[in-house]
Amino acid sequence: MRISSCCLLSLALLAPAALPAQVRYSASLGVLGGTPLAHDQLFQEIEVQQDLAPTVTLGVSFPVSKREFLGLEAALGFGGVTTVEPGYPDVEGPSFTTLSLTGSVDGPVIGPLRYRVGAGLLKYLPEEAGIFAEGGPLLLVLTAGTDVRLVTRGSFTLMARIRYDYQRFTTDQLQFSGFSRTQDVHRLGFGLGVDYSRP
Amino acid sequence: MSRTLLAGLAGIAILAACSDIVSPVRNARYDWRLIVAYDSAGPRLDTLSFHWPRNSVPVKLWVEDASDLKARAREGIALWKDAFLYGEWDARLVDDSTSADVIIRLLQPPPLPAGAIRMAASVEPCFGATDVDTGATRFEIVLPVRSYVFPSLPNDPGLEDCMRHVTSHEIGHTMGLFQHSPDSLDLMYGVPAVDFLSERDVGTAENAYHFTPDMVPVRP
Ligand SMILES: [Zn+2]
Repeated sequence: MRISSCCLLSLALLAPAALPAQVRYSASLGVLGGTPLAHDQLFQEIEVQQDLAPTVTLGVSFPVSKREFLGLEAALGFGGVTTVEPGYPDVEGPSFTTLSLTGSVDGPVIGPLRYRVGAGLLKYLPEEAGIFAEGGPLLLVLTAGTDVRLVTRGSFTLMARIRYDYQRFTTDQLQFSGFSRTQDVHRLGFGLGVDYSRP
Repeated sequence: MSRTLLAGLAGIAILAACSDIVSPVRNARYDWRLIVAYDSAGPRLDTLSFHWPRNSVPVKLWVEDASDLKARAREGIALWKDAFLYGEWDARLVDDSTSADVIIRLLQPPPLPAGAIRMAASVEPCFGATDVDTGATRFEIVLPVRSYVFPSLPNDPGLEDCMRHVTSHEIGHTMGLFQHSPDSLDLMYGVPAVDFLSERDVGTAENAYHFTPDMVPVRP
């Protein structure tokens, strides 16, 4: 957790001292789904589709202007893949766990709607076997999304979140097996979360 | 707001130039298919492929509890499981031999049953064999598939290594790799001397599990 402590410290230093120190903490639970992780060719085309991945996200953000916040989010996702191959039934393949750390800027759009854009790093953690056996390299992930304020009670706000992210997917095992280049992967997710604002 | 948002979206659009992963060509392989003699207006040979159907995975292995054979079998399963990217093959040990797909015994191979085909690996100080019964038609694999591993020189210092090679080699046969590799550096060489999978072993297993099978497992 050296990285996250370092980033949090950097964010704290970046937050202008003149602004009211309203720190926002958030926790959310959602699901992410997306485009295929890989394509393979062994007598016929094999498509490695990703299943919906439950994802837990924790975040902290600081005001950087009157309207905008700079934040850091850590997310842990638990997914799996399904291989689709002509002539065979669809098969549940290996499962995977992702850990990501993204920095983002968010600000108001209209009414209860806020935008969020950011970038960070994502890692597929090592699993027992299959394409995730050795985990993956650190991948750049770009994110965009919206948060919708649903209900506010005191310092707590219930939020609905829609997130898009983009990564260039590969794993160490795929590279070891001779796969080259990377796969564009687009993911879209929906979640519900709680924000806590500390004045 | 709009400037930050637009800059972020533009960044994503620029970086998201289309890229697709490129899969390797797996031509490092040997022929794994079973050559079956049959009679149709004269003796002929047929070359047939088999792999366990996806709904039979993990394959159920009953392994005789003697001389660390179970430990050797677990090592063999782990070795072969790592050959696959998408979980095409896996196996687990079961206690009840009645429901097993594969039976591995610490036993000198008995006389070959009528109609069965034997793949034998003879190494000192141990040897192994796997029998495949192609059933009434040559398009079946009668379950259970039977493998034998036997220590011919029980006090030989190289016995443990030999048992490791041969057990993994026989598990390779039970997976559907029904021929021997011509290369001595492959685990599926007729006289196995390694306890790891070569690139050809991996390529052959991957090819076998995506090649349309001619044979189906049947339980009598
Ligand atoms: Zn053999």
